Amino acid sequence: MASSHNNMHSEAAKMEQIVTEFYAKSLQIILESRSPYMSSRNFSGEQTLSPSSSSSSSSSVRPRDKWFNLALRECPAALENCDLWRQSNSEPMVVDVILVQRPVGWDQVNFSPKRDLVRHFSSKERCLVGWSSDQEELGCEGKSEKIVERWIVQYESRKASDCSSGSRRSSNYALHNVYKKSILLLRSLYVTVRLLPGYNIFRDLNSSGQICTFTLGHRVSSFVEPFTRKEEAEFQRFGFTPVDTSSGRLCISVLYRSLPSDVCSEPSTPMSPQFIPDYVGKPIGGSTEEIPLPSYVTLLTVVIAIVTTPHFSPSPSPSPPIYIPGRHLSTGLLRSESAPFSLPAPKLANSPALSSKHRSPSPPLKITRSNTSRIDRSMGQIQTGEAIEKFHSFGKDDSRKSSGVKLSCNSSPQISFSRSSSRSFQDDFDDEYPCPFDVEDVDVTDSSSRPESFDQKGHLCEPLEPGGYPKKSQDAAVGAFVCMLKKAPPLRQDFSGSVNLSEASRPETWSSTTQEPRQISDATSSQQGVSVSITSFWSCSIKDNC
Amino acid sequence: MNCEVCQLKELEVEHYELREVLRCILHTIVFQRALGLVRPKDIDLELFEITYVQCGDAEVEKKIDEKIEQFISWVEKHPNKKSQICLSFYEVKSKQPSWFTNKIERLYWEQWYVNLNVSQLPRAHSIKSRHSKVVDPGESASEERSARRPALEASLRDVLFQIIKFVNEKKDHVPPISEGVIYFPFEITIPRKRSLENFNLVFDGRKIVFKVALRNYFLQFIGLCFWDGYDKENAADWASNHAQLMEELGS
Repeated sequence: MASSHNNMHSEAAKMEQIVTEFYAKSLQIILESRSPYMSSRNFSGEQTLSPSSSSSSSSSVRPRDKWFNLALRECPAALENCDLWRQSNSEPMVVDVILVQRPVGWDQVNFSPKRDLVRHFSSKERCLVGWSSDQEELGCEGKSEKIVERWIVQYESRKASDCSSGSRRSSNYALHNVYKKSILLLRSLYVTVRLLPGYNIFRDLNSSGQICTFTLGHRVSSFVEPFTRKEEAEFQRFGFTPVDTSSGRLCISVLYRSLPSDVCSEPSTPMSPQFIPDYVGKPIGGSTEEIPLPSYVTLLTVVIAIVTTPHFSPSPSPSPPIYIPGRHLSTGLLRSESAPFSLPAPKLANSPALSSKHRSPSPPLKITRSNTSRIDRSMGQIQTGEAIEKFHSFGKDDSRKSSGVKLSCNSSPQISFSRSSSRSFQDDFDDEYPCPFDVEDVDVTDSSSRPESFDQKGHLCEPLEPGGYPKKSQDAAVGAFVCMLKKAPPLRQDFSGSVNLSEASRPETWSSTTQEPRQISDATSSQQGVSVSITSFWSCSIKDNC
Repeated sequence: MNCEVCQLKELEVEHYELREVLRCILHTIVFQRALGLVRPKDIDLELFEITYVQCGDAEVEKKIDEKIEQFISWVEKHPNKKSQICLSFYEVKSKQPSWFTNKIERLYWEQWYVNLNVSQLPRAHSIKSRHSKVVDPGESASEERSARRPALEASLRDVLFQIIKFVNEKKDHVPPISEGVIYFPFEITIPRKRSLENFNLVFDGRKIVFKVALRNYFLQFIGLCFWDGYDKENAADWASNHAQLMEELGS
């Protein structure tokens, strides 16, 4: 008799323990998937644990994990807030999940969701986590709070009269049965919390790298603050089938809102623009296709830096190799406002406009000139070398297709730098060879107002007629063009040496420029001031035409 | 003990959505029947804004994936058909081998029927989708697909809630948890061509796998071989008996 009484007493104690742990586990399941900073989702790599290892390595499984055979991650919020129900499991546990939306122009430094969540008030009668009372008001401090979910976990005690009539169903109330059904209920709870709309917000908060204008908070209390009728109409209810025990039943239910999708995927503070330093576009020098954009952004940045530096001057004083070549020319060109840079162009090979112009001698010259200006501005950037090589490769590849990228000394209209004849072609070419420092005719003409930029070039200094390239003799034009080429930094590893050589040989270059194109080309090749590939290319072109 | 049966709501899926949809449904069921110690694993679907839960057991994952691949292979051979996958939980009761029959007795206590209406992609795309997990079948039907997707996601959620409700409402038939057992033994049955090797019968909740029917079938076949064709009475009976047998045995 005493033994049966003891058994009943022990069973009651165990049942009470099951109920207590049921509260704790429920709270952990809910908060683990609603507290953005306290979730196992942040440790996705450690989420899996094979059952064999979990059962064999008991050291990795905490005692509370074994309750209901559900091992979850640490959830401090749950641990802090279940003390009340450890003392008395007759009180309902009400968990409000609150969506906090920050106002426009919020101060992200001062707003710390974590800080707000940590503040709490606890008492025997009421346990609050998340907000102090003065922040619960709507619109306080500009924040908008809205309860998106309300979970109610409750152990409804059965009346004494009902307990006595349940003897026939005592097998159902056996401890192992209650425990098994509690496990099933908590499994369902675990699945359900991930299917409700609030989980999407939680997941977005955890995974998004952006700063969101909203966050999730929670409030755990032992009483239910009733909603207004209007609010209640906005909620949907889902109730789990209660688990009957000998003295009551375990109940879980949830009221949840259907959140608009824009809350979850709401664009937040935009990411700051970033340069992509290692943008992978086309292989360097291996294709005539588009040049990666970020390289031009980098070039532009460099050029702007050059222009704005106090040391930048048109004087011939030595300067870092990257800045020396053609800086005087670049100054004038850079100060123009037209066409800062263009986006990567379509493939050159497929350009109908380009192909139609193959047979025209003048456009290539025009192109080269603009290319040279780009080279100048690029100040020895590798990408400029790419442009040159690409153009060179174009010239080589297409030499069969066209009368060539040729310099014709005798056909004056074709070599002219007039805007009318070649501008359209240049535009097409510019589209296909994207250039961050796209030179339009007006740029060159602007430089004419700055004669100092051409001082050292001697013959190149001749003022440009407004609205077009200087209408000079073909030889002079060719010479000027070659000068520009010479001032271009050497390609790639040849930069440092070739630049210095080009500068040192400038007077000689200028002196020979206006005389004989062939001599210029020969001088250029002999001086090794410019990439050998370009020089040889032009030398071949000149020889073909003359 | 009765066998509880749950017929899930039919889903209209496309071929490339099968894998994700089936993984979601099957794992959700198995997780809620894995009553041993588990550390759940959250999986986000790629095609839908749904997160489902796995029990974290590698064997379970492998078994489910294998069956899904078999089913997808079957679907490719039987395109544009309504099909059904059956997930059954059972208890192994006892083995009583006899001289003629090899009776393996499994006591099925729960069966879940996943009903699918699979629309097959064009042949060119189907070959591609076989070797990739999630494939965008093409741009031609993208607009229609994007309109279908929210409806399918909603339907999939309905199915998941249907599973949750069923698990909640019916708990008494679940066997007791055995020590050291993570999940109840289960099998996944997919449609396949009729085989003479195994015939399964479901009779009063007890499913007995036996090969007696195989014997009977051969006997009837032998009888047909000796039928001279003049006696048409037996032929009619044989045909009807054969049809009935096939119907009972199922695919």
